[in-house]
Amino acid sequence: MRRLGRLLVNLLLIGFSISCVFPIFWVLYSSFKSQAEFTISSMALPKVWTMANYVSVVTQSQMGTYMLNSFRTTLMSVSLIVTISFVMGYCFSRFRFRGRNLLYTVILMGMLLPVHALLVPLYIQIRDAGLLDKWYTLVVPYVGFGLPMGVILTEGFVSSIPRTFEEAAAIDGSGFLRTTFTIILPLTMPILATLIIIMFFGNWNEFSFSLVLINRDELRTVPVGLTMFRSMYRVDYPRLMAGMMVALMPVIVLYFLFSDRIIQGMMAGAIKG
Amino acid sequence: MQKDVIQPKSWVLGACILPGIAWYVYVVILPMITAMRNSLYNWSGGPKMTYIGFKNYQFLMRDSIFWQAFRNNLTITLLSLIGQIGFAFILSSLLAMRFVRLKRLHRTVAYFPSTVSAVVVGYVWSVIFNYDSGLLNSLLRAVGLESWASPWLDIPSSIMYVVSIPIIWQYIGYYMIIILAGISSIDQEVYDMAEIDGANGVQRALKITLPLIKGTLGVCVMLCISGNMRIFDHIYSLTGGGPGNSSIVMAMHAYKTTFIKSQFGYASAMSFGIMVLSLSLIMFSRVLIQQPWRKEAAIDA
Repeated sequence: MRRLGRLLVNLLLIGFSISCVFPIFWVLYSSFKSQAEFTISSMALPKVWTMANYVSVVTQSQMGTYMLNSFRTTLMSVSLIVTISFVMGYCFSRFRFRGRNLLYTVILMGMLLPVHALLVPLYIQIRDAGLLDKWYTLVVPYVGFGLPMGVILTEGFVSSIPRTFEEAAAIDGSGFLRTTFTIILPLTMPILATLIIIMFFGNWNEFSFSLVLINRDELRTVPVGLTMFRSMYRVDYPRLMAGMMVALMPVIVLYFLFSDRIIQGMMAGAIKG
Repeated sequence: MQKDVIQPKSWVLGACILPGIAWYVYVVILPMITAMRNSLYNWSGGPKMTYIGFKNYQFLMRDSIFWQAFRNNLTITLLSLIGQIGFAFILSSLLAMRFVRLKRLHRTVAYFPSTVSAVVVGYVWSVIFNYDSGLLNSLLRAVGLESWASPWLDIPSSIMYVVSIPIIWQYIGYYMIIILAGISSIDQEVYDMAEIDGANGVQRALKITLPLIKGTLGVCVMLCISGNMRIFDHIYSLTGGGPGNSSIVMAMHAYKTTFIKSQFGYASAMSFGIMVLSLSLIMFSRVLIQQPWRKEAAIDA
């Protein structure tokens, strides 16, 4: 009876895990089907494996450009978020200065504010500033939206590092910048890694701001590029699926390479948050 | 106050903090202020703006599509609270049991969907729900339930339940990881003692885990509400708000008002409305969670 219960729990969890990956797995093998075969049976494995859909994605769509754009935007945003958050979080955690509490509260507010209410207002503001459709346009909102979480995570983490590190360094004659970057920075690496992970996936997948702030096809990012792809091949599901697989590949590879780190980072972040 | 040996000069401190503050203010605070101003105008986005006072807000109060969108947001939120946090709690309690095999694999696989772009999730599920060649209907036909096969995304009365499924599916693993983090901070001895006293799995989950991770669950509830108040990508890629306006959500309505109807002034008023509604709901849930006499309600809601 007890053994049976244990078996059932294990089976239940295996069933749940399968349901988590099966849809993506289905997209993967269906992308090797012809449209005709998909229409006849959408469930079965392909009888004839064809690369035609992938050839068409690579040769007939802008997917390469979209990926390059996503990559550039994500890289710039994440590096800026991490650098600025680290410096700000460190200063907020260590030093007392006039206006500190007010500024920190304003930053904290950013965690609660529904950013999607800013979709239209920020579009208007960026349009009027003439910043639409630039290669750096998306970095502006992504960094702005990423800072609150970055500052809060680093602030909390630095508070757990004893001040004696910096005091000793100061007595030994190390200046502020040197202490911050050669002593504190390495110590905060665990939380910065968490931040990089959260921000990487968030920015790589961001859709709505990318949709409204970028109109030139050669600047589109992957998620919006996929909607272009979809409107081109509305009923050709296997071809759409090949496009989705190409778009997903970097995330899948990165996730399964670093999944242990990513989950540990998320769990650490969850405890802090 | 005693001079601090490590405190830098104030201009150094300013140079460290102000650029980030300025960036944040430009992206988050300034648009809110300009939206408040723009919401008082009749404006189609061009140079001509006509001051109309609070007319946009009066219009917003009577805009049945906006309130339908708000109700839809609430429906998704409610279903997600039950579906995501409820399932995540059950699954993480099971996963925390000692005899469960493949723990790491389950964790890794469960978190995976949350790393996938919401647009991809929407498209994948739109193919799953497709009438002719969708996975769901093929499955139903294969097991002889031919009559159950439906055009899932074309039935207005049930559309909100259908679009909630992919959203719930995507984020169960996300909440699972947060809850597992909460469970891992509980001392294992507490469970061992309970086991010696003869508490079964369900009792341990409800009487030990649940009260001890109340704080974590509160965080989950807030994340869930704020996440679902801003839902947009899934709806955009699954239904586009249709059929008709039956699955429209607030962010989508603001988007359409701006980019299809070019009512910039009205969309600004709507953005302000979305902000107020979402914030009040988050505050409301916070109050509910912090009131001990209502804690069950806040967690189950």
